[in-house]
Amino acid sequence: MDIFDKFDPMKSRLETVHKLGVDPFGVKFDDIMNATRGRIGNREIVLAGTNNYLGLTFDPDCMDASIKAIKNHGTGTTGSRIANGSYEEHVDLENALANHTNMASAIVFSTGYQTNLAAIATLAGPKDFIFIDADAHACIIDGCRLSPAPTIRFRHNSPEDLDKRLTRQGKIEDGIALVVIEGLYSMFGDRAPIAEFADVCEKHGAYLYIDEAHSFGVFGPTGCGLAEEQGVLDRVDFISGTFSKSLASIGGFCLSKHIGFEITRTAMRAYMFTASPTPSNVAAARAALDKIAEKPELRTNLAERAEQLHAGLAALGYELCADPSPVIAVRRPNEIIAASEWNWLLENGVYVNLAVPPGTPQSSSLLRISLSAAHTKEDIDHILSVFKEMSENSDELNARVAEVLAAAE
Amino acid sequence: MSATDHEQIFDKICELLVPYNPKKLAITRQSGIVTDLGVDSTAVFDLIMGLEDHYDISIPMEMVSDIKTVGELVNAVKQLISEQ
Repeated sequence: MDIFDKFDPMKSRLETVHKLGVDPFGVKFDDIMNATRGRIGNREIVLAGTNNYLGLTFDPDCMDASIKAIKNHGTGTTGSRIANGSYEEHVDLENALANHTNMASAIVFSTGYQTNLAAIATLAGPKDFIFIDADAHACIIDGCRLSPAPTIRFRHNSPEDLDKRLTRQGKIEDGIALVVIEGLYSMFGDRAPIAEFADVCEKHGAYLYIDEAHSFGVFGPTGCGLAEEQGVLDRVDFISGTFSKSLASIGGFCLSKHIGFEITRTAMRAYMFTASPTPSNVAAARAALDKIAEKPELRTNLAERAEQLHAGLAALGYELCADPSPVIAVRRPNEIIAASEWNWLLENGVYVNLAVPPGTPQSSSLLRISLSAAHTKEDIDHILSVFKEMSENSDELNARVAEVLAAAE
Repeated sequence: MSATDHEQIFDKICELLVPYNPKKLAITRQSGIVTDLGVDSTAVFDLIMGLEDHYDISIPMEMVSDIKTVGELVNAVKQLISEQ
């Protein structure tokens, strides 16, 4: 018995996908030139799968802030904020996030994943119940697994189903209900009806926690996310997010309208027992937050590009999973066809994400595109022309799929 | 709870498993939901929601993690119905 035997089913599935070309889950770029261009070998690639929604990773002010923080405070924090102290950058960003969103408390974390892991696992205690959307991200599910509270799933984006399940649960003795949803769902790019969820939470006295990882900076008049866009930011108890998308860095944050959230700094294990984000990571996110506040035109361009791509792909006959948003998912019949097309797109200079079960809702296989405010109208025209060419070459692609499947049998 | 009820729960689970069992594999109480029937982890939760709605019960996620076979799922549903 080998320790890795248990991965054999996964290995054989991946081997089939690898026969179609490049490993879609191990892409290596030889260069990243800017927010929308990379290079593999001699081939320039249009990046349309980065989650770099505002295109700020190469913004001169964000880069300068990051470099200045390294020069002032070094490359690493060497420990956690509880054991080794906070840097000026941590405190400054927390204050700026709280001010920008008008929240009472803001806590930053080392990654977005750790944010939900830490906050959900700690906020829900043994007498509480967690209610999560059926399409919740892995970090929400893992946060629930670490929490002593029982977790109940409700149907995706259905406030009615949440209402039914909260009613079924009845009064929770000596405990609370914590409802966790996302703003924009990362795979299909569909939006949560947050106002309706807030109504249900208020009816049952439940706390509402929203992960706005893919919507912070992208939606709302001041970029606070979908809760702000839907006019209900003040009715949300907790907002979490990440620095690795609109905020051009790596790290995460959780905001609360309750000042009581501060006490969890000394209870959240994924905050206490891990190194804090580096000064340069935090400083880049701080500079990006200023851009979110000062440059609404980034959101305008992003929305226009999303409309353009969505309309173009729909006109080509592709089945799309949701209304236009910076995440546009093209549904494919199965993962072999999706992987084959993903390779074809990369060979022809367009990088998107291949998303397959179990990481996707409804066991779907997707070509997932994420757009950036840095994409131009011409970039989208180019992406559409490559998709058009791909659909015109479906015979060639199908032949390749048939060849691989025959070899796999 | 009578033996008939136990059988009814098993039949209901088999019915809900149909869309996740395209190869029409024979389902017994010993069938591993993931290991034998090949239902992926996301689909397992969709199956669970169908059962929750049919029997008006809540099956917490951590209970689902412990359920490996169809028979264990029948027992869990039976237990939750009897606790109501």
